[in-house]
Amino acid sequence: MAAPGRHVGHYIHKNSRFLLNNVEQLWWHRSFGWSPAVRQQTATIKKESTEAIVIPKKKTWSKEAVLEALSSTVNRDHTAYQYQFQDDPYLSPRTSAEFKLYSLSQESGRAAAKYFVDNNPKFFTKDFAEPHIPCLMPESVSLRLEDVSEEALKERISLRKVKAAVDMYDQLLQAGTAVSMETTHDLLDVISLYCDRDPVQEGGPETEDTEGSGEELGRRRGRVRRASDLLKSVWRENNNAERIFNLLPERDAQCYSALIRGMVKHGAYVKAFNTYTDMLNNRLTADVHIFNALISAAPELREKYNERWDLISELLNQMGEQKIQPNLLTFNSVLKALRRCGSLAKTHALQTLSEMRALGIAPSLASFDHVLGIFYKAATITQSQTDILQEVMSEVAGTSFTCQDPDDVLFFSNAMRVCLDTKDMEQGYKVHSLVGVGENWRLLGDSYQQSIYYGRFFNLLCMMEHIDVVLKWYRQLIPSLYYPNAQGMRDLLQALDTDGRLDLLPTIWKDVRSLGHYNKSDLVDELLALMAREKHSPEVQESFAACALDVKSVFEGDRGRPSLEWSTSSLSHITALLLRANRSQQAWEMLHLFKTKNRIPSDVLLEDFLSMCGSTGAPERAVELVQLSAAFCLPATPRLAQRALAEFDLTEEQRTILSELQSSWDPTE
Amino acid sequence: MAAHTSKAFLSLGRINGPGLGFHNSLTRVTYATALSTTNSTGNKGFPDRGNRGAFVRKPRREAGEPRTEKMAVNQDWTAVYSAAAPFKPGSVPLPVRMGYPVKGGVPPEKKGNLELIKIPNFLHLTPAAIKKHCEALKPFCTEWPSALDTEATLDEHFPIKLESTDYISAGTSVRNPSARIVHLKVKLSRLNLDDHARKKMLRLVGDRYCKDTDILTIRADSCPLRQQNYEYAMYLLTVLYHESWKTESWEAERTAADMDEYSWEDSPSQKNILDTLAHMKMAGEGEGEAVREELLGRPEVQEYRDSVMRLKNEGESESSMHQYREAVKKVLNL
Repeated sequence: MAAPGRHVGHYIHKNSRFLLNNVEQLWWHRSFGWSPAVRQQTATIKKESTEAIVIPKKKTWSKEAVLEALSSTVNRDHTAYQYQFQDDPYLSPRTSAEFKLYSLSQESGRAAAKYFVDNNPKFFTKDFAEPHIPCLMPESVSLRLEDVSEEALKERISLRKVKAAVDMYDQLLQAGTAVSMETTHDLLDVISLYCDRDPVQEGGPETEDTEGSGEELGRRRGRVRRASDLLKSVWRENNNAERIFNLLPERDAQCYSALIRGMVKHGAYVKAFNTYTDMLNNRLTADVHIFNALISAAPELREKYNERWDLISELLNQMGEQKIQPNLLTFNSVLKALRRCGSLAKTHALQTLSEMRALGIAPSLASFDHVLGIFYKAATITQSQTDILQEVMSEVAGTSFTCQDPDDVLFFSNAMRVCLDTKDMEQGYKVHSLVGVGENWRLLGDSYQQSIYYGRFFNLLCMMEHIDVVLKWYRQLIPSLYYPNAQGMRDLLQALDTDGRLDLLPTIWKDVRSLGHYNKSDLVDELLALMAREKHSPEVQESFAACALDVKSVFEGDRGRPSLEWSTSSLSHITALLLRANRSQQAWEMLHLFKTKNRIPSDVLLEDFLSMCGSTGAPERAVELVQLSAAFCLPATPRLAQRALAEFDLTEEQRTILSELQSSWDPTE
Repeated sequence: MAAHTSKAFLSLGRINGPGLGFHNSLTRVTYATALSTTNSTGNKGFPDRGNRGAFVRKPRREAGEPRTEKMAVNQDWTAVYSAAAPFKPGSVPLPVRMGYPVKGGVPPEKKGNLELIKIPNFLHLTPAAIKKHCEALKPFCTEWPSALDTEATLDEHFPIKLESTDYISAGTSVRNPSARIVHLKVKLSRLNLDDHARKKMLRLVGDRYCKDTDILTIRADSCPLRQQNYEYAMYLLTVLYHESWKTESWEAERTAADMDEYSWEDSPSQKNILDTLAHMKMAGEGEGEAVREELLGRPEVQEYRDSVMRLKNEGESESSMHQYREAVKKVLNL
C-alpha cells in the first residue's frame, strides 16, 4: 500500500507542518537559546503586551497512546467474519468446520515458518524491521554447548530438553562436579513439570504420541479435548525426578515443592501427601505453592464429603501454623475442591469468599465460577432457591478482569449455563454486558469455549425474547462471532413459530445452507413442516415454493453428492408447497419421485392434486393421478376416481379406465 | 442410500456365487454395475465403470453471497473500514464502476475489478470517521494561548518559524531519511541590522532570501538527525548575524564594480554633467572646485542625480525614462 501511504503521508505532512510549526515555535521560545537581536525584540514586546502569553506545558504520552486512542473509536462490524481471515465472499469461512480448518491452517503455516526460521538462522541475520520485532528473528532451538558443564545443563533446561538435561546432570555427578542449588531447583522443576518426558517442540514435526504439556493442548484452537490426552502423563514410580531428589545431599523446601507439585499435576496424589509428610518430618516449612497443590489434590484422596473438607481445613490450619500467606490460587483451589464436596460446600464457600475479602485478595473470575458451580448443580437446578447469580453479577459488574487463574476462562460459559437453566434473561444480559467491559473479552476462552457461550446465550434469547429482539441479536452474533449448530437453528425456528413470523423461513433456510446444516435431516424436516403447515398469503406462498425447490435440489445431491434421504414427510411437504403456489409441472415431477423412492403420498395430497388438475383443466393428468394412486394401492382410489369422473370431461376410454378402477377397489369386496 | 444399494447387490452376489460355480471367496464385494438406479450419481468412492470412465472430482466450492447483502443501511461505516485497506468489492455496498468501457457498453463492475484495487481509497476517512478521530485526539492537545489571536501577534512574538515533516508509509521500517530536514524561516526586518549588515547578510545568504516576502529561509539537511539539523540552523542564523555586523579590513578594498547599488557621487555621470554645465554656462566664472560645489547644490542637478540613480538601480521603464527626460530638459534648460 505504498501509494495510499504516500497520500496519507502527504496529508499528514500538511498537517504536521502546522502542528510542528506550533510545537517548534513553543519549543524555541522556551529553549533559552535566543540570539541577542531577538532578545531585544522580545524584551520590548513583553513590556508592551497587554496580556501575558501563557504557553501551556507540553503533554507527554506513551508510544502507543495515539494508536490506542484512535482504536477506541472503532466499534464491532456485525457482518464481518473474524479479522484473521480474508474478507472475501469466497475465502471467508462460512461454517464452523471451515472456521476450524482455516484457523488451524493459519497456525500451522505460522508454525512451519517459525520452524524454518529457527532451524536456519544463518539466512535470517539481517534485521529489516525498524523498530525491532523480536518474534520474527530466529530463536535458538538447538544446543550450542556440548561440553559437560553447568552452563550446558542450564542451556538444556532453558530449551526444555528434559532427557538431555537429565543425562547432562548424571554426567556432571559422575565427573564429580558440584551443581549449584539453583540449577538443581530448575532441573527438578522442569522434570516435574513435563513428567520426565520431552515436551513436543512447538512447530516441529508432529509425532504420533503427542504427550504434550497443557500449553500445547491449549494452542490448538477448537480441538476437541480428549480425556486420553490429559491422562497420558502418569507419574511413574521412581522416575528421574525422584531419583535425583533422593541423590541430593541436602534438600530444601524448593526441591520438595517441585516434586510435590509435579506429583499432583500428573496424578500421583498419595505420593504427594507422603512427600509432604516427609518434608514436615525434616522440619522444613512448605511454601504457598505446595499448599495450593495439596489442596487441589485433597478430593482425590478421600471419598466422603466431610472427610474431604476435614483434610482441606487441616491443610489450611497447617498453613496458618507455618505462617504462610495464602494467595488467590489457594482460595481458588479451596473453592474448586469444595465443588466436589456436595451439600456442605455452600456455607464453606461463602466463608471462603469472606476470608478472601478480609485478607484483601480480590476474587478472580475463577472463584466466582467455582461458587456458581457449587450453588447451581445441574441436577438440582430447578429446585434451588438461591439468587447467588444475581449477587455474583452485581459484584463483578463493570470490573475489568485479567487472567490470573487458568480456570478464569470457564466463568462465562458456566454463568450463561446457569442463566439458561434458571431461564433468567436479565442476568443473561448482564453477563453479556460484562464481556464488553474492558479486557474481559480475552477471558472468553478459545473458539470452542466461545461457541459454547454464544450457543447458550442464543438459546436463552430464543426461548425468552420476542422474535424482533431475537433477530436483532441473530444479525449481531451470526456469523461474525458464532456459527450455530443444528440445535441452535432449531431453537430459532421454534422462536419464529411462536411469534408467527413464518414468512422469514426462506431467509433462514439460506442461512442454514450457508452454515452447512443442509444435511441435517431433522432440521430440514422441521423447516419443511413449518412451511407446509398452514396456508399463507400468495407472496409468502411463492417464496415458500422457491425455498421448497431449493430444498429439493439439496435432497437430490446438490453438487454431485447425495446429502439426504428422502422421507415421506419431506416429499409430501415439498409437494404441498409447490401445489399451493400453483407450480403444477414441478409438483407433477414430485409425484414421480414418490414412485421412485417407494414412498406413499397421503390422501390429502392427492385430493389437493386433483383439485389443482381441475383448476388447470388437465383431464389426462387426472386420469394418470388416479392410476398412480391405484398403483400405490391407496384406499382413497375409488373416491378419487369418482371425483375425477364427476369433475372432468373425459374421453370414453378414460371413463372406462376410471370406472374400472373405481369398481375394482370396491370396499365391499 | 449408497450403502443400502451396494448391500442389496452384495446379497445378490452371494446368492449367485455357488450357482455360477465361483471358487472365489463369496465375501468379495460386488461393485455396483449398470443395473444400478439413479443413485449411481452418488457413488463417489466406487468408480462406475459401467457408466463413466473417469472418476468425478469433488465439485468446486462456490462463493457465498457478499456481505453487502447483509449490511444495514444505517450501519456504522467506520467499523467496516476502520483503517486503510484495499478496496473489497464484497464489503463496499456501492455500485461502483471503473475502467475503460466495454465496446458499446459501460465501465466494468466492481467485482474482480483491478482498477479499483490499484488506486488509493479513502473509505476509512469519511467525515464521520474524521470527526471521531478528532474527538479521540483532543485529550492529547493543549489549548492555544488566547493572547496569540492574530498573525501579527504571532509574528511579533515568534519571529523564527521552523518546519519539518514526518512521513508514514507501510513498510518494514518507520524511519524515513527525509524526516531530518529542517527549514528555518525568519523575516530580516525583525533582525537588528544596519545598512552595511543587511547588505552583507544578503550577500552571504544569496538565494535563500526572498525579496518579495522579506523572508530568509535556511534549509538544514546535512546532519542525520532532526535535532542536529535544528541546532545547526540556529547556529547558522547566529553566525550570519554576527558576521554581517563585523566589518573586515578587506571590505574597504571595494571597488565600484563590487558595489551593489549605483551611487552617483564620483561617477562618470556626475563628472559628465558637471563638465557639461561648466562648459555651457559659467565659463570662467570661478575655480573648478567652487563651481562644482555650487552646481551640485542646484535642484536641477539633484533631480538629474535622482533620475540617473533610478535608471541605473531600477532599470529602464516608462516612468524612469520619462523622469530622466524631464530632468535632462531642466538641467540643460531646454
